[in-house]
Amino acid sequence: MAARATPPSLRRPQVVLCLLAATLLLLLPAYGFSGRSEATPQPIPVRVLMPAPLADAVAAPAARFNALHPGVRLTVTRGPLDTETLSDLAISGLLLGDAPFDLLLVDVSWLAKYAAAGWLLPLEDWFGPEVLAAMEPGARLGNALGDHLWRMPLTGDTGLLYWRTDLMPRPPRDTDELVAIAQDLQRRGRVRWGYLWQGRQYEGLSCVMVEVLQAFGARWWDPAAASTRLDTPQAVAAATWLDGLIRDGVTPKAVAGFAENEALQSFAAGEAAFLRNWPYAWREIEKGDGPVKGKVGVTTMVAAPGQQGGGTLGTWGLSLIRGTPHPQEAVEVIRWLTGPEVQRQLALEQGYAPTWSRLYEEADLQQRLPLLAVQRQALQHPQLRPMTPAYAQLSDLLARQVNGLLTAQERPAEAMASAQRQSLQVLRSLAGPPALATAGR
Amino acid sequence: MRSRLLSLLLLPALLLLAAVFVYPLLRYGWLSVHASSVLTGLLPVPNGGANWQRLADDARFWKDAGQTLRFAFCSVALELAGGLALALWLHRPRRGRGLLRALALLPWALPTTVMALGWRWILNDPHGPLNAVLRSFGADSYAFLSTPATTWFFVVLSDVWKTLPFVALLLLAGLQTIPADLEEALRLEGASRRQILVRLTLPLLMPYLSLALLFRLAQSLGVFDLIQVLTGGGPAGSTESLALYAYLNAMRFLDFGYAATVTLATFLLLLVLLGGGWLLLRRLGGARAQESAA
Repeated sequence: MAARATPPSLRRPQVVLCLLAATLLLLLPAYGFSGRSEATPQPIPVRVLMPAPLADAVAAPAARFNALHPGVRLTVTRGPLDTETLSDLAISGLLLGDAPFDLLLVDVSWLAKYAAAGWLLPLEDWFGPEVLAAMEPGARLGNALGDHLWRMPLTGDTGLLYWRTDLMPRPPRDTDELVAIAQDLQRRGRVRWGYLWQGRQYEGLSCVMVEVLQAFGARWWDPAAASTRLDTPQAVAAATWLDGLIRDGVTPKAVAGFAENEALQSFAAGEAAFLRNWPYAWREIEKGDGPVKGKVGVTTMVAAPGQQGGGTLGTWGLSLIRGTPHPQEAVEVIRWLTGPEVQRQLALEQGYAPTWSRLYEEADLQQRLPLLAVQRQALQHPQLRPMTPAYAQLSDLLARQVNGLLTAQERPAEAMASAQRQSLQVLRSLAGPPALATAGR
Repeated sequence: MRSRLLSLLLLPALLLLAAVFVYPLLRYGWLSVHASSVLTGLLPVPNGGANWQRLADDARFWKDAGQTLRFAFCSVALELAGGLALALWLHRPRRGRGLLRALALLPWALPTTVMALGWRWILNDPHGPLNAVLRSFGADSYAFLSTPATTWFFVVLSDVWKTLPFVALLLLAGLQTIPADLEEALRLEGASRRQILVRLTLPLLMPYLSLALLFRLAQSLGVFDLIQVLTGGGPAGSTESLALYAYLNAMRFLDFGYAATVTLATFLLLLVLLGGGWLLLRRLGGARAQESAA
């Protein structure tokens, strides 16, 4: 009978083979280091882990770096596309103590966690405070924490509002107008849906919530109290508005399962009047031959009348991994990859928002990048997600609660009260008894 | 003499078992009474029973435990019933039996991740094939993965779809050990097909059924990849399993003390359930043996 259950036993040799191969691969570089002879100087290896699209985008600059620096050998590893999956991969490497990379492209939402875990090396010895001063206000945020600079920003992306130029003369000025325009277009049968965004239970929903909370004058995180403020009347009003979009049919129920791509696909197919997404979506729409190509405008996030709107910061930056054998060379790589030259190329070829103010003033870029002005405008009122090591828990439970609201499991006031209660629980349990919280430091 | 040699020969296996099973358990036990999170710089700091206290009050853990149990019982029950039916059907001599058996095994051969991505596409609203079918009947497309009830249904369905062939194959192997002349003899005595099934086939299949039950119960109580890919635990956490919760605590939240506590609690839960199942099966087997003796 054991012979009957062939599949598992068939797989076993393959699993063993894979493990062997993986072990060999892990051992090989180590062997290479120790076996290096003094007579023939090998270039110093610097390895960077990035999500695949960004790794592809910096392939040419990386080759140029290698040509300019014969003593250093920069290799860029293509990681998973999905932000959380990339973090899982990086963490698996970091937990083992000897990470297979010297530099990591860090999402703004991971920074506090990685810094608290002790995986990063501070950068202020190499980059003085004047470095960030030459960047747009939004790009300066989310890099420093405590007294240290943990990351040099490479991109300045924020959440943006996409609208259809063929359906309306100008973008909406506030949330009321957005809903009114959407409903009018839906009534007249011009579009099936009004407004599409990301409602799946994942980090993207937290990004949407940051913007909606801001739009109604609420704040998720109070840095002074190091606590959440999710049960204020403003926060409940924000949740009520989001819930109302689905109940009034402006947004489809299916949005509760949408990530960036599902929302983009539907909008690019001409099914909706508005879309919330990152800058990459514009390029995706324009490069295809879809029904809305050339009919899409981009603007900053709208707010309720009388409030200041703002897009969620989704910036990437390079961090130095503690334990790297060659920090000096790795910092040279940071300087090169985050420098204006590479950022100009990333903006022209991939549409990533630059962080350096002077790039926004270049006439050539302004002319060739229709999104540049809006991207700069968005960086004036950016919304930072809570900068706390507990962010992953807080975001996970907020996304869970709001997703419950969207799928009609709970009412807005209940959902937000419950999110606040659970957030406080998490913060309390993580901090533990006061003596313990600092014991490990 | 002989027994000493025997225990000596067993030693390597026991050592291996200790290394891969007992050591991790002890380590989890030790970690579960420590705080080891981003706030302690990932260093273990003793915190008494704080993790276990938190577990007792953690509504999400108990909700996930309920969801995991419900998932395991429903899918294993369906798999056993469906697997038995499929095995009986495949056991019957007919043309192309080999091909049919190979075809039936196909879902089991697919990697779970690929299979789950496939289901996610099938259920996509509005572009998935299932919604295309709905629309061709004039109905509106339906957000299957945005409603807890339908999401749960399809999580169970996709699990049953994938592992039913495994159960069927196990039971088919069992069916082939039943001598054909026993069935022949019963038939000559005038027994109906139902009587043959209840009086002969099922009792003799019992060891195989219980094996499939224990195998599948252990697997489905630890379900992770299917749920991670198909729903990510959503909507609103309604399909989150204990394994997914433990994974989140360790890899996303970097709260290793609590992750160890959740894992250990899950293991204890599994132990109690499997032990209970095994005792129940033994009692059933005993009762049956007495019955047939009488």
